[in-house]
Amino acid sequence: MTTPEPLTLDIREELRRGGEPLPHIMETVRQLAPGQALRLLATFEPLPLYAVLGRKGFGHQATHHNVEDWEVLFTPGTAVPEQPKGKKPHTTTVSTGDWPAPSAFLDNRGLEPPEPMVRILDSLEHLGHGEVLEAINEREPVFLYPELEARGAAIHTDKRDDGVHLLIRRGA
Amino acid sequence: MTAIENAVPAVSDRLSRWTLLIFACALVNFLLGQALIVAGVTWPEVAFTAGSTLAAVHLITLGWLTLLMFGALFQFVPVITTKPLLNQWLSLAVLILVEFGLTGMTVGFLALNRGASGLARCLPFGGTLVLAGVLLAMGNIVTPLLCSRPLALPGRFVLAGLAFLLATVLLGFTFALALSVPAFTPLAAPLLASGVGYHVLAGLGGWFTLTAMGVSYKLLPMFMLAPEERGWWGECVLQFGISGFGLSVIAGLLSVWRPQAVLLNAVQHLGWLAIAVAVMAYLIDVLRLYRTRKRARIELHNRAACGAFLSLAAALVIAVVLVASHRLAAYAPALVLLVLFGWLSGLGLTQLYKIVPFLTWITRYGHQLGRDAVPRVQDLVDEARTSPWFVIYFLGVALAALGAFINVAYVCRTGAAVSAGATLGLGFEYWRAWRGHYAGRTRPATPIPPPYLSRGGPAP
Repeated sequence: MTTPEPLTLDIREELRRGGEPLPHIMETVRQLAPGQALRLLATFEPLPLYAVLGRKGFGHQATHHNVEDWEVLFTPGTAVPEQPKGKKPHTTTVSTGDWPAPSAFLDNRGLEPPEPMVRILDSLEHLGHGEVLEAINEREPVFLYPELEARGAAIHTDKRDDGVHLLIRRGA
Repeated sequence: MTAIENAVPAVSDRLSRWTLLIFACALVNFLLGQALIVAGVTWPEVAFTAGSTLAAVHLITLGWLTLLMFGALFQFVPVITTKPLLNQWLSLAVLILVEFGLTGMTVGFLALNRGASGLARCLPFGGTLVLAGVLLAMGNIVTPLLCSRPLALPGRFVLAGLAFLLATVLLGFTFALALSVPAFTPLAAPLLASGVGYHVLAGLGGWFTLTAMGVSYKLLPMFMLAPEERGWWGECVLQFGISGFGLSVIAGLLSVWRPQAVLLNAVQHLGWLAIAVAVMAYLIDVLRLYRTRKRARIELHNRAACGAFLSLAAALVIAVVLVASHRLAAYAPALVLLVLFGWLSGLGLTQLYKIVPFLTWITRYGHQLGRDAVPRVQDLVDEARTSPWFVIYFLGVALAALGAFINVAYVCRTGAAVSAGATLGLGFEYWRAWRGHYAGRTRPATPIPPPYLSRGGPAP
């Protein structure tokens, strides 16, 4: 039996209009034939969707074609296994000292410089004073450090096998 | 997994404040060197060893490529090591010393042409300043490299390159003394007669090529989203490169005093073989890098860099043919031209097209990110407008190399003029990027939380 061609869903226009495409995506997933993959076209990397579809057994492969042009292939039966034993999951990455638990999260892996820095600084401005942002980068963000210092923010860097984990606390 | 770090590095540690100025000076030197060639006062119109040819060669090698490498390394080494330079002001001191030293050397070389022995003393004087500048630059760059453990592959290439730079400059300084101070001439006469090629090999191969390979191993994956780990291939390039250039330079220099030594001759050929293996492995690895990239559409600087890699491949094939047919000595200047303009300057010009806008953007707009509307890095350049300049540049280089190999001077000069014109065009584009000429389109600050931001921590 041959594997059916992936079903393509383009949500770029809907996202640009400010729409909420999740119900549309889930409806499309329900319509997939057994073994059929979903090819999603979006204006940004749909990180929350990875977890949602991952629980349904879909693995993902993202390609960044251009600014606001992402293609993600969700393939059934290829979900990445859970964190290996002995390694701490993200949520228990300790808040250092008197830092509160992270209140926002960014996965910047797969983005070319300086996009991770742009996203972190954009996001930081939407946090309350003293709140903590958790981010995972592919590389240590050396150009981000001076900007954080200038803004009174603090950063803790933790290099792991799956990327550089950052905890950033917005200054007062 | 490393421990959590608490210290936030200082602002001045991360951005090299003199790098853009160094690039501007380097580009002016390159244009001056090209102007001498186009004016017909250098090889192939006159001898390769004529003072005016040497002036042009050093404007390009010292004034352009060495300063370009220094400017890039002052910015790049703190990025790969996450350690600061020894001192930011040393970078400015290096620029001043090298520029004044180069001026002295140029005057000295041109004086040699006219037989003005008094002015020729400018040569060792300028060489002393250059030597001082190189030592300061090495101190500035080596300090973060040695503080970094373990040192990544690009850093090891840079360390090896710097060792060859020191050897090149010391050899050059010896030549300067031999050419302009009569007391030294008899002592260094054999070296002057048959050792110049090893000064060239140490510079073009050991210093420029190894360093360019190391820098490209960081820059190419970074902007193409390709794997940085080069594994066996990267190690092969580094080990064969160091041993190849090392063996051929050392054995070659020793053979200056013992030209009939069979062993030295064999070692030298072994070195050349190792160089060929290193360059071939590098080119294959670069091809692997382009093929395994995650980014489907790459930017102009990496598309145009293919011209430099093709030049290196062409130089490798030609060099192998020349060595095999015992005609290397006759065509060495033409091969040097192809390596200097096609591979090294080609790679330099293409990578500048990313480094200049990137540094400009981060210096000028970094503090406004998330707060105000700012342009994106790619808004600082106009790729469609610039890409013809790269095409013209590499066509000019191909024409100049063809003229050099078939020994038709006017074809060579025409090619040099074409590539000089393209260099000027590219210079304007770098200038426009720095001035923000194309930065009308701006990226708005996000008034609402950006869509990629996941509130409440990572998805379970």
